[in-house]
Amino acid sequence: MTPTPWTYFSTAARYALLEHSRNRLALVLVVVFVPLWISLGHAVVDRAGVRFLLRAVNATVTAHGNDLSNISGALNAVTLIVGFMMFSVTFKAGSFDQRLAMAGYPRRHLVAAKFAALVVVAAVTCAYATLAVCFYWPPRQPVLLGLALGSGALTYGGFGVMLGAMLRSELAGMLLIIMTSIIDTGLQSPIANPVADKALIRFLPSYGAMQVAATAGFRDSVPVRYLLLGPVWFLGAVLLAALAFQFHTRDRRYAFLTR
Amino acid sequence: MPDEEPVPDDEAVREEPVRGEEPVLRVHDVHRAYGRHRVLRGASLELPAGCLAGVVGENGSGKTTLLRILAGRLRPDRGTVSYRGPLGYCPQETVLNPAFTVDQHLELFRVAYRLADLSRAHELLDTLRFSDCRRRRTGTLSGGTQQKLNLVLALMHDPPLLLLDEPYQGFDWEAYQRFWELAGELRTAGRSFLVVSHIAFDTGRFDRLWRLEDGRLVDDARRAHDPAGEG
Repeated sequence: MTPTPWTYFSTAARYALLEHSRNRLALVLVVVFVPLWISLGHAVVDRAGVRFLLRAVNATVTAHGNDLSNISGALNAVTLIVGFMMFSVTFKAGSFDQRLAMAGYPRRHLVAAKFAALVVVAAVTCAYATLAVCFYWPPRQPVLLGLALGSGALTYGGFGVMLGAMLRSELAGMLLIIMTSIIDTGLQSPIANPVADKALIRFLPSYGAMQVAATAGFRDSVPVRYLLLGPVWFLGAVLLAALAFQFHTRDRRYAFLTR
Repeated sequence: MPDEEPVPDDEAVREEPVRGEEPVLRVHDVHRAYGRHRVLRGASLELPAGCLAGVVGENGSGKTTLLRILAGRLRPDRGTVSYRGPLGYCPQETVLNPAFTVDQHLELFRVAYRLADLSRAHELLDTLRFSDCRRRRTGTLSGGTQQKLNLVLALMHDPPLLLLDEPYQGFDWEAYQRFWELAGELRTAGRSFLVVSHIAFDTGRFDRLWRLEDGRLVDDARRAHDPAGEG
């Protein structure tokens, strides 16, 4: 009996989501850490106006400091958590997935299922973070804010998958995700770097997401090109992850090996 | 230890109990090195149907490397491996997902192996006496029970060829006995086993036994009868 492609995909997707739901630390981080960061940012950062250059609309924008801190805080929180979740499942299940693939589970369905689980995890986390922001102040475009966070989460989810497929040390993966996020969001934070006029900024992984999130908070336009930068980073990362996965799970079961 | 005399191929074939059938596994002149360390230096064997065979050797002699190459997890530097049909591979380390229950493992592998149902897998759980753990997550199981599931995942599709790397690690005495009973039943049904082991007292249980010495497989029967093969 050969299962249908849908059976392969739906079974793997169900199990991928189940696996995320068993990651208690990640769930606690989502539930507690996201609103805590946003609440602290709103309470601690000065409310005084901050002028910063918003490249997505090519204009200088003035916003309350604590509102602005919520934008970078929410983005930082969702990227770290989704990156951590994807790294954790990819790293822990790596050899198990290899065994499944070698037992005959089609790899493209396994990979598609992991991607579907990532999209669900990112969507839930980002919707929750957007609600937490809306609790304190009304962004101009809350849906776009959610999409911007999702774009950043997708980028870091891709990093998590890539590092999980490549690294042999759990600690190394976690540190790399955290260090990347610190450099990434730190350098382009409108509060720390309001001018942000160096071209290098454009090449930071969450640049597009930060630009769209800030636009969603304080302007009415929709910078689609910037929104697509996250998926581009994601594709680059998962392409490397897929190559690593392919390399580790080459199916040689019926091969007549000669060299 | 003196170098082994190379055994001519035709002589090797004469001693194989081929019974007019194609061997289920044929390994020829497999080499594998890690950097400068040459682990396998021309390992060869043929395994007929319904044969319970063992490969023994000291720690670090290359047993696991050989089995990984046979299972397709590792590429040999040189040499050929061929076999018919699917195989069951039980790695030395337990490869399970701690987030899933025993039943969930079986279900995933049922889909992977394209099985209609899990009746065979449930029989194996009964034989190895851990059916009562079906709803438990594998992360909460003892090492021995995890190893039982590790083994069941290699056996549940009833493949003609089984490659088992220290399959009873962590088993208690009863489970160990049950493993050998099960192996005997499967052999009678025509399945072939290649079991890697470092335990010397297992050796009497095998139909065929090879010792992995200096990266080559030395037929243990030949070794006993041929003074040139004595170490």
